[in-house]
Amino acid sequence: MTLAETLDQAKWTFVTRCVDRARVAATDTDFAAARPGDLILAHVDRLGQHHRVQLPSGRPSLIFPGDAVVMACGARYAPDQFEGLAEIGPDCADLLAGGGCIGRMVARNSRIKPATRLVPAARLLDADGQAVNLADFALVPRRAAPRPPVIGVLGTSMNSGKTLATAQLVLGLRRAGFRVGAVKATGTGAFGDLNEYSDSGAHYVGDFTDAGMVSTYLEPLDRIRTATETLIAEAGHRGCDIVVMEVADGILQRETAALIADPWFAQLISGLVFACADAVAAVGGVMHLARLGLVPDALTGLVSCSPMAASEAGSATGLPVLTRENLSDPAEATGFALRAGLGREKAA
Amino acid sequence: MKDTPIETSPLTPRRVTACSSAGRLSARIIRPARLADAPPLVVLHGISRNAGKLARLFLPEAERTGRTVIVPHFPADTWPDFQRPSKAARPDLALLALLDLVVSECPDISGPVEILGHSGGAQLAHRLAMLYPHRVAALHLVAAGWYCLPDESMPYPYGLAPGKDAFSASWSRRKAAALRDFLQIPVCVHVGTEDVIRDDALRKTPALDAKQGPHRLARARTYVGALNAAAEAAGVTPRARLIEMIGCDHDVVRAITQNHLAARVLDARAALS
Repeated sequence: MTLAETLDQAKWTFVTRCVDRARVAATDTDFAAARPGDLILAHVDRLGQHHRVQLPSGRPSLIFPGDAVVMACGARYAPDQFEGLAEIGPDCADLLAGGGCIGRMVARNSRIKPATRLVPAARLLDADGQAVNLADFALVPRRAAPRPPVIGVLGTSMNSGKTLATAQLVLGLRRAGFRVGAVKATGTGAFGDLNEYSDSGAHYVGDFTDAGMVSTYLEPLDRIRTATETLIAEAGHRGCDIVVMEVADGILQRETAALIADPWFAQLISGLVFACADAVAAVGGVMHLARLGLVPDALTGLVSCSPMAASEAGSATGLPVLTRENLSDPAEATGFALRAGLGREKAA
Repeated sequence: MKDTPIETSPLTPRRVTACSSAGRLSARIIRPARLADAPPLVVLHGISRNAGKLARLFLPEAERTGRTVIVPHFPADTWPDFQRPSKAARPDLALLALLDLVVSECPDISGPVEILGHSGGAQLAHRLAMLYPHRVAALHLVAAGWYCLPDESMPYPYGLAPGKDAFSASWSRRKAAALRDFLQIPVCVHVGTEDVIRDDALRKTPALDAKQGPHRLARARTYVGALNAAAEAAGVTPRARLIEMIGCDHDVVRAITQNHLAARVLDARAALS
């Protein structure tokens, strides 16, 4: 089977969706040289946590031992699943995320299965013998594009309700008549969050993979910041009035902590929603954010599911606690847009 | 409430129906042959729900001025409550969906709309503008029974002071968040000089009578004063004015046929801008 035939039959994963496959001209097996973002062809060895990979089309695909899969080398930080590094062994690697992140697992949550094991087959190279990397297909920064105001969405942890809050606020703003962009600034490439944004009617959806990264874990702050600005400018170029931007994981996670501690972040956002699991987390999170000069406009997340927890959190912080229904209500969402400066002068 | 019988035009405006989480809402759309460069006018009926009659009355003036006119109809069976967003009903969501639908069909009229509301329709119109000021170019409020004052002199829904329950508090918070933008909207409050009857349809409570006045004429005067005072307090140029229609009572048909309300509103663009 030729290289072209092998690649044609392989399952290309979601994070490779921007890749021009015609750029692949050769392969090597110098896996020790693999850098984050390099494309790797691997075969499924033994199924573990992931029984599926995500395809560029937006649907999951079952995988079976022996399947050929094209992924991107990357690190992952997911407290509910794995921590992994962007390292590929000579004959062994781990499927760190179903979106198509291959690397080496170094820690896992005790409640989940070991990672699906992979056997690396090839590193994909271009005609010049250079590794084909996601960065080669990154969005070109649109420096002249208008920069729409940004509503940031932060949370206490993974699965605290950030993505739902982002999508519901997108829905509320769209219902209020705004063209809305939805951006995920950090995390590991996967289609779940982006699909949720799209389903809510976002006019533009983008994440760090569009800016050339399979994952933002262990990436330099400058690169993440530049990627974020590129995505926001792209939303402006596509005609968005406002952007809702989710920052992954909790506010103490390495990249998120660095990003929000940077004065750039406070200047970037025109509003802030904070997702938290319970009232104590809300109080602690709000105090931590205050030390960084950040004051949420509202709390949301799991805490909002319980009227009692919401009451505790609201009383303790003085902030409104918004349910998913509140965020998707245009009467509520309009307040975020108006505070961000999208008032009558802008509409006229 | 009865309206004066009138002669009507044989022309029939086009009908559209929008769906939203709040329910279906239909409207008649009048698209003149010659379109003026001006926002569409949304005409909201009162509790007589006389959308068809209002559409027929506005049709010749729409043709004359080139203004697109949209006349929603809130039927009694599906919209028993439509005068304000509440736990019982969300007419604001239905209207936003309707406007989005109309814009999708007529892209030339994207942007803020002017809204005229009569009686209960005027109640909905000003509350809609308080929530979504970016969608409203100008307001024409005709003889609302009572108002949501743009200050904290009364608890929600009569004003912006937080009510006793969380629901009221959230609504007053939402309106307060949009207040500064709302106060920049040009507002014409029209009321008949004879609209002083305390009929069954008029809400009457001691607090409302004391703060807003005993009848619609007095309440209109109170509201215009409150709007302009709130604007000045917010550092915004006051843009509310009162138009008292001489000899007119609460009958909107008479206001249109005898006091030329439709013509005045559709011609008022220059005065409002």
